[in-house]
Amino acid sequence: MGAYLSQVLRNRVESSLGEPIGRCLDVLALDRAQGPLPLAALLIENEAGDELLVPTDQIERVTPKIVLKTAPPPAYSLRGGEVRLARDILDRQIVDVEGRRLVRVNDLRLNPLGPSQQLYVTGAAVGTVSLLRRLGLQRPVEGALKLVGRRLAEQVIPWDVVAAVEPDQPIRLRVARDKIRQIDPVDIADLVAQMDGPSGLALLESLDDETAADAMQEIPDELQESMLSAMSVERAADVLEEMDPDDAADLLGALEEEHRSTLLEAMETEDSVQVEKLLAYPEDTAGGIMTTEFTTIPQGMTAGQALAYLRTSPQAQEDETLYNVHVVAPNGRLHGVISLRDLVMADPEAAVDAIIEKQPITVGVLTQQREVARLVAKYDLIELPVVDDDGVLHGIVTVDDAIDAIIPTAWKKRIPRMY
Amino acid sequence: MPDLKHLARRLPGKGALRGALRRAFLFLAIIGPGLITASADNDAPGIATYSMAGSRYGYAFLWVLLWITLGEALVQEMAARMGTVTGKGLTDLIREKYGLRLTVVVMLCLLVANLGTTAAQFAGVASSAELFGVTRYIGVPIVAGLVWLLVTRGTYRVVEKVLLAISLYAVAYIASAFMAKPDWGQVLRSAIVPQLQGGRDYMLALLATVGTTITPWAAVYMQASVADRRTPKERYGETRLDVVFGAAIGNVVSAFIVICTAATLHPLGIAVETAEEAAMALAPAAGAWAQTLFGIGLMGASLLAVSVLPLATTYALCEAFGWERGLDHKPSEAPIFYGLYIGILVLSAALVLIPGIRLFPLMWLSQVANAVLLPVILLLMLQLANSKRIMRSWRNGALQNTLVSLLAVAVVVATVVMITSGQAAG
Repeated sequence: MGAYLSQVLRNRVESSLGEPIGRCLDVLALDRAQGPLPLAALLIENEAGDELLVPTDQIERVTPKIVLKTAPPPAYSLRGGEVRLARDILDRQIVDVEGRRLVRVNDLRLNPLGPSQQLYVTGAAVGTVSLLRRLGLQRPVEGALKLVGRRLAEQVIPWDVVAAVEPDQPIRLRVARDKIRQIDPVDIADLVAQMDGPSGLALLESLDDETAADAMQEIPDELQESMLSAMSVERAADVLEEMDPDDAADLLGALEEEHRSTLLEAMETEDSVQVEKLLAYPEDTAGGIMTTEFTTIPQGMTAGQALAYLRTSPQAQEDETLYNVHVVAPNGRLHGVISLRDLVMADPEAAVDAIIEKQPITVGVLTQQREVARLVAKYDLIELPVVDDDGVLHGIVTVDDAIDAIIPTAWKKRIPRMY
Repeated sequence: MPDLKHLARRLPGKGALRGALRRAFLFLAIIGPGLITASADNDAPGIATYSMAGSRYGYAFLWVLLWITLGEALVQEMAARMGTVTGKGLTDLIREKYGLRLTVVVMLCLLVANLGTTAAQFAGVASSAELFGVTRYIGVPIVAGLVWLLVTRGTYRVVEKVLLAISLYAVAYIASAFMAKPDWGQVLRSAIVPQLQGGRDYMLALLATVGTTITPWAAVYMQASVADRRTPKERYGETRLDVVFGAAIGNVVSAFIVICTAATLHPLGIAVETAEEAAMALAPAAGAWAQTLFGIGLMGASLLAVSVLPLATTYALCEAFGWERGLDHKPSEAPIFYGLYIGILVLSAALVLIPGIRLFPLMWLSQVANAVLLPVILLLMLQLANSKRIMRSWRNGALQNTLVSLLAVAVVVATVVMITSGQAAG
């Protein structure tokens, strides 16, 4: 039952028996130095004009009117340190670490978190959509934009990046960057995982395709599926295109056949071909966990030529890590591997052939994931080329995907991310 | 400016001459920002309005300026004090205290007022261009393009100083006023004894004068710049002195424009309607060069204002609604910011290019619009400056409340009289 603060303020409040209690003037939350703020109480004005406080754990639902669980509701006693959301946070300026003005708190996102489903302030809505919602213009404007085939996205800054709220001060972010879009996808993923479905989806929908894709890759598998299913086909396809092909393939592989083919059709051919290739391999084999984003150079170059070639190579552009460069023979067979480091350090005139590792450790597309993991661990590899029976290079398995099989998920998060 | 103060402190304190030097440095340090405000008061619509009022009503208009100076000082002091105490701009306070809906209303007022004033600056550009025989259909688009380039390329800071120097030409009015040899006794009497007239045209002149001197925009700008400077509250006295000086000096120049036009044009029965007529007021000092001097000065003042006003308006709007803003963003990152800026620039330039539009009346009518919208801002400023939660022990005194309220009431009354009285009274 996530909601925005603007949808809660000024709502009528009723007891469990339907007796009117008053109107909601403000919402009190406990100030925390870090993370979402737990809501504490509703400030209600009754018909006589008196103000009373009711604890938020008494709330049954908040829209279109607030209904409480009891009648009459118990009173909330102030603990000290509460902030009033409408008075102290709504409409405030948001500044970055250095105090530069960024955006303004147009609205606050309230979501139930955890097993107790306690309501928290999970984010600050800062976009034009939230302005329109408060002015009661969201529907008409969105309707008008739909006619011209455009839509507005909600922009929410996760509360995790907000520093403690101080009275009469702007809301300060803990991130140093001046662009809120650049909040780490891992943080966004954590938040999406904590929120209830619709709110998490709303947060994902507020991000651009690339950020949404990065965040998607970080959230648990089952949640990935439900998020993707809830998105429109076009949006889901856009996000899938931006994901790493192996992650996209894993995600698509878990979907129902019909849904999968719809999404593959909606994707750009270039991306869908890659993903389809990966989908053909069983999930627990090298082919199933490999990525098709890797970089190759033709045989017979000097180190200098190779570097110049990489700078303009679309493959290298796409390859986010570009740790190893693969030298490929004209027939597609893997000829050798060289790390980018060695290539950079080599004499520009030196022939690449002379300095490459000509017999790299490789695995077949159907090699079991456990075996891949064993090889990676044994030889301290960062990545492992995957070749077919003819020695043609099809992809690479990166260390993080290889160790998935042998390390429980909870540990994985503590390992520094290399990819 | 603080550099000057440090310099003054480092000067040896002994000896009468050195003492005087020190005082002079201190004085310069204080009136520096004041001079800037002064030249801002005498932008193109300001000159047009004062010339119109002085040529039409003679010295009888001088007393108005005295009261307007007081009004400006009171309003700007309020803004400066709120900026010092809260460290926030006026739009911040309005948004935080009154919420989104009222902010929309206030920002619309500000947008309309500033669109009008920007158009008036372009009218100044057009008038000046036509004094030099260049049609406005060429002059105005070129200037608009130039401003866009200067502002987005960041070379504006350099140009600003040149423009500021040019706009000091308004000092020529002081020389011209003395050389026109007015009856100083009468000038002084008129400045003190109120001589109120009725009628639509008089009210219009009155409102235009109020609107060009006390603007919603000036209050917003003052508070924002004071808030950004983050001077500690303990040193607020200096800021207050600066504000009062600014108002006084700006209006001394304004008064000399009125005296000048009253002494030269009023006796001839010329009520200024064009740039050529307005330039005649400088004839006692500049002789045959009056038109050239007026043309260059008008261009400088207009350029200065047209470089600052649309940009500052866009900043204020973006800050109020929390849109990403700033020239360090690319247009694709801050589409609303750039869209608004270009929109204001193009719309106000286009207004001047409507065939047959009369430039000088456009200039003072835009100032009437400013005045009519002023009470909305004054009312909010009064409430904010009296809020215990926001201002604590720095709230308004009773006298200031009364005087500013009177100003707001006077503007409303003048507006009502202007609308209800017939054309014949003028």
